[in-house]
Order: sequence, then C-alpha cells, then structure tokens
Amino acid sequence: MSDHKPKFFTRWLFSTNHKDIGTLYLGFAIISGLLGGYLSFLMRLELMEPGIQYFSNPHDFAMFASMHGLIMIFFLVMPAVIGGFGNWFVPLMIGAPDMAFPRMNNLSFWLLPVALICSVISMFVPGTTSGNGFAGGWVMYPPLATSGHPGPAFDFVIIGLLAAGFSSIFGAINFITTIFNMRAPGMTIHKMPLMAWSVLVTSWLLLLSLPVLAAALIMLFTDRTVGTGFFDPAMGGDPLMFQHLFWFFGHPEVYIMILPAFGIISHIVSTFSRKPIFGYLGMAYAMVAIGVVGFVVWAHHMYTVGMDVDLKAYFLAATLIIAIPTGIKIFSWLATMWGGSIRMTIPMMWAQAFIFLFVIGGVTGVYLANAGLDTAVHDTYYVVAHFHYVLSMGAVFGIFAGFTYWFGKMSGYLYNKWLAAAHFWFFFIGVNLVFFPQHFLGMQGMPRRIVDYPDEFAYWNYVSSIGAIVTLVGVAFFLIWLVEAFIVKRKAPDNYWGEGANTLEWTLSSPPPFHQYEVLPKIK
Amino acid sequence: MVDVRKHKSNTANRKVVMGLSGAALAMLALGFASKPLYDAFCRVTGYGGTTRVAEQMSEIVTERAIKVRFDANVASNLGWTFKPEDVAITVKLGQNALAYYTATNDSEYPIVGTASYNVSPIKAAPYFSKIECFCFTEQRLEPGETVSMPVLFFVDPLLAEDTRLDEIKTITLSYTFHKVERPSEKPNTAVERQAQLKKLEAIDLEIPKQTNTPANTKNNTQINQQGRG
Repeated sequence: MSDHKPKFFTRWLFSTNHKDIGTLYLGFAIISGLLGGYLSFLMRLELMEPGIQYFSNPHDFAMFASMHGLIMIFFLVMPAVIGGFGNWFVPLMIGAPDMAFPRMNNLSFWLLPVALICSVISMFVPGTTSGNGFAGGWVMYPPLATSGHPGPAFDFVIIGLLAAGFSSIFGAINFITTIFNMRAPGMTIHKMPLMAWSVLVTSWLLLLSLPVLAAALIMLFTDRTVGTGFFDPAMGGDPLMFQHLFWFFGHPEVYIMILPAFGIISHIVSTFSRKPIFGYLGMAYAMVAIGVVGFVVWAHHMYTVGMDVDLKAYFLAATLIIAIPTGIKIFSWLATMWGGSIRMTIPMMWAQAFIFLFVIGGVTGVYLANAGLDTAVHDTYYVVAHFHYVLSMGAVFGIFAGFTYWFGKMSGYLYNKWLAAAHFWFFFIGVNLVFFPQHFLGMQGMPRRIVDYPDEFAYWNYVSSIGAIVTLVGVAFFLIWLVEAFIVKRKAPDNYWGEGANTLEWTLSSPPPFHQYEVLPKIK
Repeated sequence: MVDVRKHKSNTANRKVVMGLSGAALAMLALGFASKPLYDAFCRVTGYGGTTRVAEQMSEIVTERAIKVRFDANVASNLGWTFKPEDVAITVKLGQNALAYYTATNDSEYPIVGTASYNVSPIKAAPYFSKIECFCFTEQRLEPGETVSMPVLFFVDPLLAEDTRLDEIKTITLSYTFHKVERPSEKPNTAVERQAQLKKLEAIDLEIPKQTNTPANTKNNTQINQQGRG
C-alpha cells in the first residue's frame, strides 16, 4: 500500500499527487520555455543586422515579441516556480502528505495546456490586415487590442489568458489552504521554510491581482465583440483605465515571478554555506512587505501617459520604498554566506549569479522608478534590459538553481557535474552578452518591439545577437545533462548535499515515496 | 483516528476556501466596478484633466488674468472639419466667457458626433467650470452643414488660492469629436442649436464689480454627471 503507484495514464492524466503534478508543471514549463526561447532567438537573429532579413513585415516581429512575453511569463516562469517547485516542495517542507485539494490541483495544471494551445492558435489566425496573430505587446493596450486587431487572433489570446488566470487562482487557493491548515505538528508559521513563505505570499498576490486582469480582459473582450465601450472614448470610456487595471495586475505579477525564486535561493545559499539563513524573520516579512507595497506602485509603468506631477511623485516614492525590503533580502543572503563554509556546487553557482545579476536589474529598476528619467528611456531597450536582468536572469536563474538543487530529490538520479557546469557557464555568459549591451542601446534611444533600426545601433545589436547564440549552446547543454542523467541513472542518496540541507524533504528517500508522511513528522 | 482528523481538516479547509474565494470574487467585482469608480474619481479630483460643470454663472471677478487656449481634434473615422473660432482668449479669473468652435460635415451623409474633452495642465482641471457646452449633448450635422458651437465657461477664482497653480498662466481646453455609432433618441440638430445660440448670446456676461475676496463666495460648482475621465 505504501508505495502503490497507478498505471501510466491514470498516473499522469488524472494525477492528484502533488509530486506528479509538480513534475507535469516542470515538463510543461520546459516545453513552453523552448517555444518562447525559439521566438526570441528568431527576433535576435533578425536584429543581428539593420534592415529586414527574416521577417516578412513589422507586424510579424511585433507578434513574436508579444507572444514571447506572454509565453515566458504565463507558461514558463509561473508554472515552473509556483506550479512546479511549489507543488513539489511546499507539502514536503511543511510536513504535509499532499496538497489540500488534490483534484483542484489537477484542474489547475490541465487548464494550462489548454491556455497554451489557445495562445499558439492565435499566432496562426488573422490579427490585423497586415498579418496573423496578435502584435499589441504583452500589455495588450486598447485601442490597438480592440479596433487595432479586428481579427480573431486576440480573442484566442484572451481565452488563453483567462484559462491561465483561473488555473493560477485555483492554485493560489490550494497553496494558501495547504499552508494554513496542513502544517505538521510543531511547524508553526514562524518555523516554516522560506520557500513555503514565498509561495504563501505569491499565492496572495495571485489571488488578489489575477481577478482584476480577468475583469480587464473580459471588458476588452466585450468591447471587441458585443460593442461595449469600456475603453472607447467615443462611447464615454477611457483607454487609460485599461492601463491602470492591467498594471494593477501587472506589477504584483513581477513579484509573483520573483518571490518563489527568492525562496529557492534562500535554501540554496543556506545549504551551501552550512549555516541557517541569516535573519529568518526579516527575510519572511521582507517578502510580505514586497507583496503589500507591490500593490500600490503600479502607475510607475505609466509615467508618460500624462499624469499629474504629484501623482508621479507618489508613485516614484512608493516604488523606491520597495528597494528597502529587497535590500534586506540581498544583505541577508550575503550575511548568510559570511563566515560560512561555502561549497561552490552547481546550484550555488546559479544562486551566486542570481544575486549578482538580480542586483544589477534591481539597480536599473531604481533608476527607472524616477519619473523624470523614465520619460527619457520609456519603451526603449533600457527597459528591456532591466526586466530581463530581473526575469531572464533573476527568475530563470532561480528556476535553474532550484532544478539543479532538487533534481536528484525529484528524479532519484544525479546529473553529470561537468555538463551542468557547461550549461551554467554558457548560459551565464550568453544572457549577459544578450542583455548588457541593451542598456547602451536603450540609452541611445532604440525603441522596443521594432523590427528594424538605424545603422548607429548595429554594433551592440550584433553583440547582443552573438549572446543569443551562446545562450542557445547553454540551453543545449541543459537538455543534454537532463537526458544524460535519465540514461545513466546514477542513484541519488536521500540527502546528497549532506550537512546544511536540513529541511524536511531531505529526510525522505530520493525520489520521495508516492505517499509520504504516513506518520506526520514532529518539529521541535 | 484517521477519519477524525480528516473530518476536522475538511471543515477547516472549507472555511479557508470560502474566505479566499470571497476575496477573489471581490477583486473581480472591483475590476468591473472600476469603470464607475474611475469616472467618479476623475470627476471629483479632476484626474486626467476632467473639468467641472457649474449650474450658475460666476458672480465674482478677480484681477488675475489667464490665457485660455482652444484645441480641436477629430477622430480619424469622422468626416468633419472642427476648429476653434479663436485660438486663444485672455480672461480674468471668475469672468464668464463665451467661445465658439466651428464644425463642418464634409461627408455626403448626416453624422452624429460627440465630443470628449479635458484641460491641460491637469491640475487646473478642478478650477475649470463649464456652464453650457456643445459637448454635453450629441450633435447631428447634415451633409455640408457648417455650425457654430458655443461653450460658456469661467475659471474659478479659487484657483488663485491654490499655491500649486501659482505658475499657471495658460490653460488649454481640448475637444475631440468622435463618431457616435448608435445615436441617442434626440441628438442636437440645427433647430436646437439655433435656440441655444440665441439663448446664450442674450445672456449678460458682465458681473458688477465687487470687492469680495474669492474665499467667502465660492462659485456653485457641481460635479458633472456626464463627465468623461
């Protein structure tokens, strides 16, 4: 009875086991990541030289940029950090046998492939007269998203995003209930591992921000199809209101993507310094503070819409305040390592790189928070560089850190260190080559989402595209070590990191039994 | 033993789920309610340059003068020419002023249009009061018809007391005419416009000189019911 596994189809299609669902999420994230990465690689190839080489028109390029953003956010980062690692390790870490609502967990996952399929279909059905697909950016501002895209493409995007949104809302309800009600005896909320804290805060952000996106999307949908005028000035509506609604969701969304990575990094830094995390309570409540303040800073994405100067001053100050809890986290990671017995394992390398690169992205974020400066660089490559430093090097490095940290625990196999190191170094050098020059391009005024550019931007664009090729090699090494580990099948011991890895998942076998904690662990 | 625990946790879970679903539904409702809330917010605060509507004319004039510029725009799908008769006029704070725009229907069929409006700088919006305006109603223009459209307004003398507006010397009033796809029962036509013009031109805009400070006689400014944010 103890380790009875259902047969293949029952196990993977009708799965109610949190570990299996976590695996499904991670596999889904890898597929979406390859798809989103493919789109971005083609964009970089196009931008390697001035002129239009590979794309047939500017619409297609903007469509690729839009879909790259939506796919990476909704179908790579969120499924990986929340659905994948959250499902796998929150129940294990708090000593729970499973999630609170295993069947709803299954629904949460299976809404996502539906959402992804809708989004992919949108790329092949008419958007505007100039081409297929939706090219209005991941922000979907009207009137470009209403009268600007009369074709059905954007309707598919709306349906896909609504499905993804409901998936996340159900997931959030599941996580909060699990964390509130299913902690093992003695696991008080102030003893809970930081990964569980991060997923708890993230779930609240999802629960409170995604319904607002859903409302905005439904209003866009009725504006498009049944002739309402929520965002149409001719009918008394206001397109600016969509931007407010979108960013009321959109800003918490960026913390939704990064907070679970914070949780993962905390565990890795602590494990490989062989020290408990420095300032545990400060770390937990810094995440709470980031979550709370993250809800009242949204209009810093909209400085150029014609806002009152006092309002700009408020959003500027509120945004800068977020640097304080974020700084607490960075300093606590450094203090954890200080005097620690540091082991530079693969996950620790990812974690170190995460801290270093996230700080770069954070500093450019503080810079962009200033309304006056933002007016100059708004919608340029400077912004692209900023948010890729916090996402494609923050969140994605967090994902790879977690993946290399827990891979043995999840699969039961150890990976080849040299292949994984090659993955790290190619990826690290590659993404830095891609995005660091984009700061220069942005400062020189190169706008986002544009297929072509003047010759003066050619040099750094060329360097950036070389970086994309290096990154591609890194991704290839990732797939190679992944496949190699499953072929060679080096058995992973229960606690293969040894001293320092002391959360509850390391007390179980690798992989953990299908049903764990038949006798609940007691936490002293 | 196991059953007891399960039963207890089911009740606890149900409570949490009810609360969380309630929170999610409340946020969804707030998302939809944002439309009326946002309109009300714009009207009350003047956010986005939303002007005020006054029921009565101003009764006090002060010495400070301000230049009011007039701006006119037409949505791309509306075949009208629309422009102000004067590009700018200078008024004293509290002075009732009448300005005209001219609109021509250049197309070959009648069109109903409606104007959205705001003022810039945005912070001056709460002090810009309209008494009568062509933008309050839909306007129907016959093919080739040219009409004069009036706006009767004053700049509230309370502006002088707001130190944030000390440097303001110019206020721009901007209109954009949009095509109305589904017109209301009674858009304004030539007949109503003639009557309205006559009525407005008959009004005595002059205010007897007073020495009152603006503070103790606030003009009767009311929140516009049709305001557009």
